[in-house]
Amino acid sequence: MYAATTIGGGLGTGLLSFYLGIGVAALLRTMFGYDAWDRDFNATIGYIFGLVGWLMGVGMWGTWGREWFGLKIKDPHANSRKELGWQRYFMFNVDHKVIGIQYLATFLVVFMTAGLMAMIIRLELMGSGQDFISNKTYNTVLGMHGIMMVAVAVAAVVGGLGNYAVPLMIGADDMAFPRMNALSYWLVPPVAVTLLLSPFLGGLETGWTAYPPLSVLTDSAQTFWNVAIITFGLSSILGGLNFVVTVMFMRAPGMTWGRLPMFVWSMFVTAWLALLYTQGFAVALIMVTLDRIAGMGFFDAERGGDPLLYQHVFWFYSHPAVYIMILPGFGIALEVIGHFSRKPLFAYRYAVGAFLGILGLSGVVWAHHMFTAGIPNYLHGPFLVATELISIPTGLIFLSALGTIWMGKLWLRTPMLFALAVIFNFACGGVTGIFLADVPTDIHLQDTYFVVAHFHYTIVGGEIFGLFAGIYYWFPKMTGKMYNEKLAKLHFWWMFIGFNLTFFIMHWPGIEGMNRRIADYPESLQTANLIVSLSAFLLGSSFIVFIYNFINSWVRGPAAEANPWGARTLEWQTSSPPPVENFLTPPVIAGHPYDYGVPGAAPHVTFFPPAVGSPAGGGGGGQ
Amino acid sequence: MSKHLIPAALLWVVLTAIGEATFLLDWLPVVGSPEAEEWDLIFNVLLAMGIPVFTFVVAALVYAFTNFKTSNDGVETGATFKGTGMFPKVWLVATSALVAVAMVIGLVSLSNLQADKSGYGWGEDQAPLVIETTAQRFSWTFSYKDKNVELLSAKDSELLLPIDTEVKFELNSIDVIHSLWIPAFRMKIDAIPGRTTFLTVEPHKLGSFETDENFRVQCAELCGLNHTIMSMHIRVVEQAEFDAWLASKQAKVSR
Repeated sequence: MYAATTIGGGLGTGLLSFYLGIGVAALLRTMFGYDAWDRDFNATIGYIFGLVGWLMGVGMWGTWGREWFGLKIKDPHANSRKELGWQRYFMFNVDHKVIGIQYLATFLVVFMTAGLMAMIIRLELMGSGQDFISNKTYNTVLGMHGIMMVAVAVAAVVGGLGNYAVPLMIGADDMAFPRMNALSYWLVPPVAVTLLLSPFLGGLETGWTAYPPLSVLTDSAQTFWNVAIITFGLSSILGGLNFVVTVMFMRAPGMTWGRLPMFVWSMFVTAWLALLYTQGFAVALIMVTLDRIAGMGFFDAERGGDPLLYQHVFWFYSHPAVYIMILPGFGIALEVIGHFSRKPLFAYRYAVGAFLGILGLSGVVWAHHMFTAGIPNYLHGPFLVATELISIPTGLIFLSALGTIWMGKLWLRTPMLFALAVIFNFACGGVTGIFLADVPTDIHLQDTYFVVAHFHYTIVGGEIFGLFAGIYYWFPKMTGKMYNEKLAKLHFWWMFIGFNLTFFIMHWPGIEGMNRRIADYPESLQTANLIVSLSAFLLGSSFIVFIYNFINSWVRGPAAEANPWGARTLEWQTSSPPPVENFLTPPVIAGHPYDYGVPGAAPHVTFFPPAVGSPAGGGGGGQ
Repeated sequence: MSKHLIPAALLWVVLTAIGEATFLLDWLPVVGSPEAEEWDLIFNVLLAMGIPVFTFVVAALVYAFTNFKTSNDGVETGATFKGTGMFPKVWLVATSALVAVAMVIGLVSLSNLQADKSGYGWGEDQAPLVIETTAQRFSWTFSYKDKNVELLSAKDSELLLPIDTEVKFELNSIDVIHSLWIPAFRMKIDAIPGRTTFLTVEPHKLGSFETDENFRVQCAELCGLNHTIMSMHIRVVEQAEFDAWLASKQAKVSR
């Protein structure tokens, strides 16, 4: 009933408002003597109306509007979790644990869908020649695979695992702004639906980067795509703001910055990146939209515009975005490696410094995506230097990971296997990055499959392996059930081997002369592509094991203990799954989260009620 | 501790030797110009530096994976050092030094590529042969400057270049962003509406698409529907053959 009201209400008001918006646009156009119907113009106005209607329908009106205008409100907390049952995942719920699972489930579906598109791409590229899909379909599938995977990489870990684990790990009862948190999530479904509908709205032609003038001139679903991605950016910004405030002000007494778990650090830094830079992408796409529907000419050289302006603004965001993707991967890897090595995390303070160093440098390297774009020659040197500087903080992450496993007692459960794979994969992705940061080598490699292989190594190998480490690590906490270890290990090895075969070999056609985003290639590249395609199918099929294990264990897995990993951090010191308020008694932090086996080390968490006069927020304590 | 360090270091050396052995294979694409030769050199230097970095991580992971694992369900704890001593500082200095070397290699080779400090392109600013290139969806127009010869890319047409002569491509686009890439010369620059970009190469090997498929012009920036097919074959010929071909083309035009 609750679920039906939410989804039905949202869809109903959303669709009504969408058509209302189209009507209003048509009316205005007629009034001023234009044709009543212009797909891009009417659709944009309709989308804005529809989005507001959808948000009102799913719960914003019920939680904010009614209260503001003094109308009778239904308190969402009046219904107990037991009464709501599974339906709490389908409503405007403000519990961070529910929102985390909503994010995670949504983005796993998006991930699998975009993964199927990768399979279509590899099927087309298996042989030289136009095999079974047209160029138009190929471009659409390619664009959708790209943007959906970017969305997964940006939001699956932060929105899913971050939302679930961060408040628990810092001893808060929820995020700082629970209702804004729910809003961040409910902005996502219209984005997913619009993207999935794009083949029926005219297809996509520009890939996920949407470079003008093509994105201005193209007759495709570009405008729908723009407004959807701007919406997604809004969700990201609100989420980032929420994490920044939560981590700064909601920490339990004694949780000093020097005792913050690595995963929380990574979320904090990631949130800053999302908050500071996402506007770049939104502004770039707003300008493209205005060029399309209002003829502004920002990117039209003949009217004094500059096509390269877009690339600068776009990469202001989209380069920091790769750290929005990879830092959570590093965070989970170090977190898991710390606990499963049963040994203090090596060089903790250097690793935190590395996160902050990456935060600082990420904003000044964007033009390395434009080395062959015809930027003035004098710009190449500075961006080469800035880009290669990032290797130094990244090296500290490796120092911390390798120093931690050295002389440890490695407990090789599935989360640990995935975490170690993050380090392995990123070592490869990091080394290949040097060839792209170095301008002379980049000239040949830019826009080839070498780049494709490189960013899949960093993003999939780094973050998506981290995502799965996190899913297996927190699965018992989130579901209260234990996953099947044998199937999980099977999934790991299957995915690890499939992934490395696919993307390691993929460097080769790139160097040999195969450019990106093409449906066909010269015959000499046939063998390499056949091997890559077959490996990609191996990689793709590994997720069948995961889906089965995930669903089957959630439904009928054995009950999990509160702390199956014997970990020191806070989220494991409460029941699995945790109560709505997270902790029955307020936690107090007394020691470092990773001090395994250190003689005389204080436990990370105690549950004594805070002594009178101790600071209420996170600020207290030495360090 | 050294009882672990020595075998792990040995593993690193073995893995590095295997990695560096790939230099025995000649697997890079055809070298059609001094620019490509230079590219192969820098690529190989960076690869030779990158392999030991990668194998260092792999050796540490593999060694720890096989030697430090426990079947004791996480009850046992490991060593208790925290990395607060000298080691991270040494690491920081070592990695910074490596990065500095990579930067110097990059900057030195970059400075060789940029004869024109404020222009938009690679190589010499002046060349004996200039080809004005116009990109449009989904074809190229190559106009030999002052020669009165213009070629439109088509399935069976070829772009002829004389051997051992510097050729400067001056690029413009009349619609969207394209990119001119010639894999045999390892050179690429985008074509942008409203801005002229250039690249200069000096082919030093005879060849054509039939002998090696990297003798081609390929659009390397997604330009829409038929981006895939936006390419044209290249043939590098002797100067005499080039002159004869040019004359025959000019004759056709004047007739």
